[in-house]
Amino acid sequence: MFVIVNGETRPLPEPQTLAFLLISLSPQAPFAVAHNEEFVARGNYELHHISSGDRIDIVHPTAGG
Amino acid sequence: MSERQINDQLVIYRRRFSSRLLLGTARYESPSVLDDAIRAADPAMLTVSLRRQVAGSADAGQSFWNLLRETQRTILPNTAGCLTPDEAIKTACMARELFQTDLIKLEVIGDEVSLQPDPFGLVEAANQLVRLGFQVLPYCTEDWILCRRLMDVGCEVLMPWAAPIGTGQGPRNARALRELRERAPNIPLIVDAGIGLPSHACQVMEWGFDGVLLNTAVSRADDPVRMAGAFASAIKAGHSAFVAGPMVVQETAVPSTPEIGRPFATDYSTPLATAN
Repeated sequence: MFVIVNGETRPLPEPQTLAFLLISLSPQAPFAVAHNEEFVARGNYELHHISSGDRIDIVHPTAGG
Repeated sequence: MSERQINDQLVIYRRRFSSRLLLGTARYESPSVLDDAIRAADPAMLTVSLRRQVAGSADAGQSFWNLLRETQRTILPNTAGCLTPDEAIKTACMARELFQTDLIKLEVIGDEVSLQPDPFGLVEAANQLVRLGFQVLPYCTEDWILCRRLMDVGCEVLMPWAAPIGTGQGPRNARALRELRERAPNIPLIVDAGIGLPSHACQVMEWGFDGVLLNTAVSRADDPVRMAGAFASAIKAGHSAFVAGPMVVQETAVPSTPEIGRPFATDYSTPLATAN
Protein backbone atom coordinates (compact mmCIF):
# COMPACT_ATOMS: atom_id res chain seq x y z
CA MET A 1 0.00 0.00 0.00
CA PHE A 2 1.07 3.56 -0.52
CA VAL A 3 -0.12 7.14 -0.04
CA ILE A 4 0.88 10.24 -2.01
CA VAL A 5 1.86 13.12 0.28
CA ASN A 6 2.50 16.46 -1.42
CA GLY A 7 3.16 14.59 -4.65
CA GLU A 8 5.62 12.09 -3.12
CA THR A 9 4.75 8.41 -2.82
CA ARG A 10 5.19 7.00 0.67
CA PRO A 11 4.57 3.50 2.01
CA LEU A 12 1.40 2.99 4.00
CA PRO A 13 1.57 -0.20 6.10
CA GLU A 14 -2.17 -0.46 6.60
CA PRO A 15 -5.32 1.60 6.18
CA GLN A 16 -5.42 4.28 8.85
CA THR A 17 -7.05 7.55 9.78
CA LEU A 18 -5.78 10.91 8.62
CA ALA A 19 -5.10 11.76 12.27
CA PHE A 20 -2.82 8.74 12.63
CA LEU A 21 -1.03 9.49 9.36
CA LEU A 22 -0.40 13.07 10.49
CA ILE A 23 1.08 11.86 13.76
CA SER A 24 3.58 9.77 11.81
CA LEU A 25 4.32 12.60 9.34
CA SER A 26 4.42 15.24 12.12
CA PRO A 27 4.25 18.28 9.81
CA GLN A 28 5.40 21.55 11.34
CA ALA A 29 2.54 23.77 12.51
CA PRO A 30 0.70 25.71 11.29
CA PHE A 31 -0.68 23.61 8.46
CA ALA A 32 -3.92 22.72 6.70
CA VAL A 33 -4.76 19.46 4.94
CA ALA A 34 -6.63 18.24 1.88
CA HIS A 35 -7.50 14.58 1.32
CA ASN A 36 -8.03 13.61 -2.31
CA GLU A 37 -8.28 17.31 -3.14
CA GLU A 38 -10.97 18.00 -0.56
CA PHE A 39 -10.24 20.24 2.41
CA VAL A 40 -10.42 18.44 5.75
CA ALA A 41 -11.07 20.60 8.81
CA ARG A 42 -8.77 19.94 11.75
CA GLY A 43 -11.61 18.59 13.86
CA ASN A 44 -12.35 15.87 11.30
CA TYR A 45 -8.93 14.22 11.03
CA GLU A 46 -10.08 11.24 13.11
CA LEU A 47 -13.03 10.62 10.77
CA HIS A 48 -11.05 10.42 7.55
CA HIS A 49 -9.77 6.98 6.62
CA ILE A 50 -6.81 6.80 4.27
CA SER A 51 -6.72 4.10 1.62
CA SER A 52 -3.96 3.00 -0.72
CA GLY A 53 -3.33 5.53 -3.47
CA ASP A 54 -5.01 8.42 -1.68
CA ARG A 55 -3.55 11.89 -2.12
CA ILE A 56 -2.75 14.08 0.87
CA ASP A 57 -1.81 17.74 0.54
CA ILE A 58 -0.33 19.56 3.51
CA VAL A 59 0.08 23.32 3.11
CA HIS A 60 1.84 25.97 5.16
CA PRO A 61 1.95 29.78 5.20
CA THR A 62 4.03 31.34 2.45
CA ALA A 63 4.60 34.77 0.96
CA GLY A 64 1.95 36.06 -1.41
CA GLY A 65 0.85 39.15 -3.27
CA MET B 1 -7.65 59.97 17.42
CA SER B 2 -9.89 62.83 16.26
CA GLU B 3 -13.39 62.36 14.85
CA ARG B 4 -12.15 63.59 11.48
CA GLN B 5 -9.42 60.95 11.48
CA ILE B 6 -11.89 58.22 12.43
CA ASN B 7 -14.28 59.26 9.67
CA ASP B 8 -11.41 59.25 7.21
CA GLN B 9 -10.43 55.65 7.84
CA LEU B 10 -10.51 52.80 5.35
CA VAL B 11 -13.35 50.47 6.30
CA ILE B 12 -13.31 46.88 5.01
CA TYR B 13 -15.99 44.53 6.26
CA ARG B 14 -16.50 46.73 9.35
CA ARG B 15 -12.77 46.67 10.15
CA ARG B 16 -11.25 50.14 10.38
CA PHE B 17 -7.76 51.00 9.18
CA SER B 18 -5.84 54.26 9.35
CA SER B 19 -3.59 53.11 6.48
CA ARG B 20 -4.86 52.78 2.90
CA LEU B 21 -1.95 50.66 1.70
CA LEU B 22 -2.17 46.87 1.47
CA LEU B 23 1.21 45.19 1.06
CA GLY B 24 2.13 41.88 -0.51
CA THR B 25 4.82 39.79 1.15
CA ALA B 26 6.31 38.02 -1.89
CA ARG B 27 9.56 38.42 -3.82
CA TYR B 28 11.62 40.20 -1.15
CA GLU B 29 15.34 39.50 -1.01
CA SER B 30 15.19 38.42 2.61
CA PRO B 31 12.83 38.27 5.58
CA SER B 32 14.63 41.26 7.13
CA VAL B 33 14.01 43.40 4.04
CA LEU B 34 10.34 42.39 4.16
CA ASP B 35 10.18 43.28 7.83
CA ASP B 36 11.75 46.70 7.24
CA ALA B 37 9.48 47.35 4.25
CA ILE B 38 6.43 46.57 6.40
CA ARG B 39 7.59 49.12 8.97
CA ALA B 40 8.15 51.75 6.27
CA ALA B 41 4.86 51.10 4.47
CA ASP B 42 2.75 50.90 7.64
CA PRO B 43 0.17 48.82 5.76
CA ALA B 44 -3.42 48.10 6.73
CA MET B 45 -3.08 44.48 5.67
CA LEU B 46 -0.46 42.00 4.54
CA THR B 47 -1.30 39.55 1.79
CA VAL B 48 -0.08 35.97 2.16
CA SER B 49 -0.59 32.61 0.52
CA LEU B 50 -0.30 28.90 1.26
CA ARG B 51 1.79 26.24 -0.43
CA ARG B 52 3.19 22.76 0.12
CA GLN B 53 6.50 22.66 1.97
CA VAL B 54 9.39 22.76 -0.51
CA ALA B 55 11.16 19.38 -0.56
CA GLY B 56 14.37 19.50 1.46
CA SER B 57 13.40 22.69 3.28
CA ALA B 58 13.68 22.47 7.05
CA ASP B 59 11.41 25.46 7.61
CA ALA B 60 7.78 24.88 6.64
CA GLY B 61 6.83 28.53 6.91
CA GLN B 62 7.30 28.94 10.67
CA SER B 63 9.81 31.79 10.44
CA PHE B 64 7.61 33.59 7.91
CA TRP B 65 4.55 32.99 10.09
CA ASN B 66 6.38 34.29 13.17
CA LEU B 67 7.45 37.41 11.28
CA LEU B 68 3.85 38.06 10.23
CA ARG B 69 2.51 37.62 13.75
CA GLU B 70 5.07 40.00 15.21
CA THR B 71 3.93 42.76 12.84
CA GLN B 72 0.41 42.51 14.37
CA ARG B 73 -1.05 43.45 10.99
CA THR B 74 -4.31 42.10 9.60
CA ILE B 75 -3.58 39.08 7.41
CA LEU B 76 -5.23 38.75 4.00
CA PRO B 77 -4.72 35.28 2.48
CA ASN B 78 -5.05 34.90 -1.27
CA THR B 79 -6.09 32.17 -3.69
CA ALA B 80 -3.24 32.96 -6.09
CA GLY B 81 -2.81 30.55 -8.96
CA CYS B 82 -6.32 29.10 -8.83
CA LEU B 83 -7.80 28.58 -12.28
CA THR B 84 -11.30 27.39 -11.33
CA PRO B 85 -13.93 28.35 -8.75
CA ASP B 86 -13.59 24.89 -7.20
CA GLU B 87 -9.84 25.30 -6.65
CA ALA B 88 -10.34 28.80 -5.26
CA ILE B 89 -13.04 27.70 -2.81
CA LYS B 90 -10.98 24.79 -1.49
CA THR B 91 -7.91 27.03 -1.17
CA ALA B 92 -9.98 29.64 0.67
CA CYS B 93 -11.21 27.00 3.12
CA MET B 94 -7.65 25.87 3.82
CA ALA B 95 -6.54 29.49 4.20
CA ARG B 96 -9.32 30.19 6.69
CA GLU B 97 -8.16 27.38 8.94
CA LEU B 98 -4.46 28.13 8.47
CA PHE B 99 -4.64 31.89 9.06
CA GLN B 100 -7.72 31.99 11.31
CA THR B 101 -9.51 34.67 9.28
CA ASP B 102 -12.65 34.95 7.15
CA LEU B 103 -10.95 37.50 4.91
CA ILE B 104 -9.93 36.18 1.51
CA LYS B 105 -8.39 37.88 -1.51
CA LEU B 106 -10.15 35.94 -4.23
CA GLU B 107 -8.19 35.27 -7.40
CA VAL B 108 -9.60 33.09 -10.18
CA ILE B 109 -7.21 33.44 -13.08
CA GLY B 110 -8.65 33.13 -16.58
CA ASP B 111 -5.50 33.49 -18.63
CA GLU B 112 -2.09 32.24 -17.61
CA VAL B 113 -0.26 34.76 -19.81
CA SER B 114 -1.93 38.00 -18.71
CA LEU B 115 -3.09 36.59 -15.34
CA GLN B 116 -6.36 38.34 -16.11
CA PRO B 117 -9.20 37.38 -13.78
CA ASP B 118 -11.83 34.97 -15.11
CA PRO B 119 -14.98 37.07 -14.61
CA PHE B 120 -17.37 34.12 -14.80
CA GLY B 121 -15.42 31.94 -12.39
CA LEU B 122 -14.83 34.89 -10.11
CA VAL B 123 -18.54 35.62 -9.63
CA GLU B 124 -19.32 31.93 -9.10
CA ALA B 125 -16.57 31.52 -6.51
CA ALA B 126 -17.44 34.79 -4.76
CA ASN B 127 -21.08 33.78 -4.52
CA GLN B 128 -20.25 30.47 -2.85
CA LEU B 129 -17.61 31.92 -0.54
CA VAL B 130 -19.96 34.64 0.71
CA ARG B 131 -22.49 31.90 1.49
CA LEU B 132 -19.78 30.07 3.42
CA GLY B 133 -19.25 33.15 5.57
CA PHE B 134 -16.13 34.51 3.92
CA GLN B 135 -15.40 38.22 3.60
CA VAL B 136 -14.39 38.31 -0.02
CA LEU B 137 -12.05 40.84 -1.63
CA PRO B 138 -12.18 39.89 -5.32
CA TYR B 139 -9.29 40.69 -7.65
CA CYS B 140 -11.21 41.83 -10.72
CA THR B 141 -11.03 44.05 -13.76
CA GLU B 142 -12.60 47.49 -14.07
CA ASP B 143 -15.53 46.05 -16.08
CA TRP B 144 -18.68 47.63 -14.64
CA ILE B 145 -20.97 44.65 -15.22
CA LEU B 146 -18.53 42.29 -13.54
CA CYS B 147 -18.21 44.65 -10.59
CA ARG B 148 -21.97 44.92 -10.31
CA ARG B 149 -22.34 41.13 -10.31
CA LEU B 150 -19.72 40.85 -7.57
CA MET B 151 -21.62 43.37 -5.47
CA ASP B 152 -24.87 41.51 -6.19
CA VAL B 153 -23.48 38.28 -4.70
CA GLY B 154 -22.35 40.06 -1.54
CA CYS B 155 -18.83 41.40 -2.05
CA GLU B 156 -18.46 44.52 0.09
CA VAL B 157 -15.08 45.47 -1.40
CA LEU B 158 -13.80 45.34 -4.99
CA MET B 159 -10.20 45.21 -6.12
CA PRO B 160 -9.91 46.19 -9.80
CA TRP B 161 -6.55 45.89 -11.49
CA ALA B 162 -4.57 48.84 -12.82
CA ALA B 163 -2.64 46.58 -15.20
CA PRO B 164 -1.59 42.90 -15.27
CA ILE B 165 0.04 41.54 -12.11
CA GLY B 166 3.71 42.36 -11.73
CA THR B 167 3.97 44.63 -14.79
CA GLY B 168 4.25 47.98 -13.03
CA GLN B 169 2.61 49.68 -16.02
CA GLY B 170 0.25 51.83 -13.97
CA PRO B 171 -3.42 52.41 -14.82
CA ARG B 172 -3.97 51.11 -18.37
CA ASN B 173 -7.58 52.17 -18.62
CA ALA B 174 -7.89 55.37 -16.68
CA ARG B 175 -11.28 56.32 -18.08
CA ALA B 176 -12.90 53.01 -17.13
CA LEU B 177 -11.40 53.10 -13.64
CA ARG B 178 -12.74 56.61 -13.08
CA GLU B 179 -16.13 55.62 -14.44
CA LEU B 180 -16.18 52.65 -12.06
CA ARG B 181 -15.51 55.02 -9.16
CA GLU B 182 -18.39 57.23 -10.31
CA ARG B 183 -20.79 54.33 -10.82
CA ALA B 184 -19.95 52.68 -7.47
CA PRO B 185 -19.46 55.62 -5.10
CA ASN B 186 -20.21 53.78 -1.86
CA ILE B 187 -18.24 50.54 -2.02
CA PRO B 188 -14.56 50.48 -1.05
CA LEU B 189 -12.46 50.18 -4.21
CA ILE B 190 -8.85 49.11 -3.86
CA VAL B 191 -6.63 49.18 -6.92
CA ASP B 192 -4.78 45.87 -6.99
CA ALA B 193 -2.01 44.87 -9.41
CA GLY B 194 -0.05 46.70 -12.07
CA ILE B 195 1.01 49.69 -9.99
CA GLY B 196 4.68 50.49 -10.57
CA LEU B 197 5.34 53.95 -9.22
CA PRO B 198 4.20 56.08 -6.30
CA SER B 199 2.78 58.52 -8.86
CA HIS B 200 0.48 55.73 -10.15
CA ALA B 201 -0.76 55.13 -6.61
CA CYS B 202 -1.18 58.85 -5.95
CA GLN B 203 -3.11 59.22 -9.21
CA VAL B 204 -5.72 56.55 -8.42
CA MET B 205 -6.11 57.91 -4.89
CA GLU B 206 -6.73 61.39 -6.36
CA TRP B 207 -9.51 59.77 -8.43
CA GLY B 208 -11.17 58.72 -5.19
CA PHE B 209 -10.10 55.10 -4.86
CA ASP B 210 -10.02 53.92 -1.27
CA GLY B 211 -6.71 52.10 -1.23
CA VAL B 212 -3.91 50.46 -3.18
CA LEU B 213 -2.54 46.91 -2.95
CA LEU B 214 1.15 46.64 -3.84
CA ASN B 215 3.74 43.93 -3.96
CA THR B 216 6.26 43.85 -6.81
CA ALA B 217 6.55 47.65 -7.03
CA VAL B 218 8.01 47.56 -3.53
CA SER B 219 9.75 44.19 -3.35
CA ARG B 220 11.59 44.52 -6.68
CA ALA B 221 12.66 48.13 -6.24
CA ASP B 222 16.39 48.70 -5.85
CA ASP B 223 15.68 49.84 -2.30
CA PRO B 224 12.40 48.21 -1.22
CA VAL B 225 12.33 49.87 2.18
CA ARG B 226 12.73 53.37 0.77
CA MET B 227 10.16 52.61 -1.94
CA ALA B 228 7.70 51.36 0.68
CA GLY B 229 7.94 54.71 2.41
CA ALA B 230 7.56 56.55 -0.89
CA PHE B 231 4.34 54.65 -1.65
CA ALA B 232 2.99 55.31 1.83
CA SER B 233 3.52 59.06 1.33
CA ALA B 234 2.06 59.01 -2.19
CA ILE B 235 -1.09 57.19 -1.10
CA LYS B 236 -1.64 59.63 1.77
CA ALA B 237 -1.05 62.60 -0.55
CA GLY B 238 -3.43 61.31 -3.21
CA HIS B 239 -6.16 60.60 -0.69
CA SER B 240 -5.76 64.02 0.95
CA ALA B 241 -5.99 65.68 -2.47
CA PHE B 242 -9.20 63.79 -3.23
CA VAL B 243 -10.74 64.77 0.10
CA ALA B 244 -9.58 68.37 -0.33
CA GLY B 245 -11.35 68.56 -3.70
CA PRO B 246 -9.23 69.61 -6.68
CA MET B 247 -9.87 72.81 -8.63
CA VAL B 248 -11.91 72.73 -11.82
CA VAL B 249 -9.69 72.63 -14.91
CA GLN B 250 -10.09 75.76 -17.07
CA GLU B 251 -9.89 76.04 -20.86
CA THR B 252 -8.07 79.40 -20.82
CA ALA B 253 -5.54 81.16 -18.63
CA VAL B 254 -6.85 82.84 -15.50
CA PRO B 255 -4.45 85.23 -13.71
CA SER B 256 -3.91 84.28 -10.13
CA THR B 257 -2.64 87.75 -9.09
CA PRO B 258 -5.39 90.43 -8.97
CA GLU B 259 -5.45 92.75 -11.99
CA ILE B 260 -7.14 95.61 -10.16
CA GLY B 261 -4.67 98.26 -9.06
CA ARG B 262 -1.77 97.08 -11.19
CA PRO B 263 0.56 100.07 -11.91
CA PHE B 264 1.18 101.19 -15.51
CA ALA B 265 -2.00 99.45 -16.54
CA THR B 266 -3.56 100.55 -19.78
CA ASP B 267 -7.31 100.76 -19.76
CA TYR B 268 -8.11 99.20 -23.14
CA SER B 269 -11.81 99.60 -22.48
CA THR B 270 -11.48 103.39 -23.02
CA PRO B 271 -12.05 104.41 -26.71
CA LEU B 272 -8.84 105.78 -28.26
CA ALA B 273 -10.63 108.87 -29.62
CA THR B 274 -11.48 110.08 -26.16
CA ALA B 275 -8.33 108.91 -24.42
CA ASN B 276 -6.92 112.43 -24.20
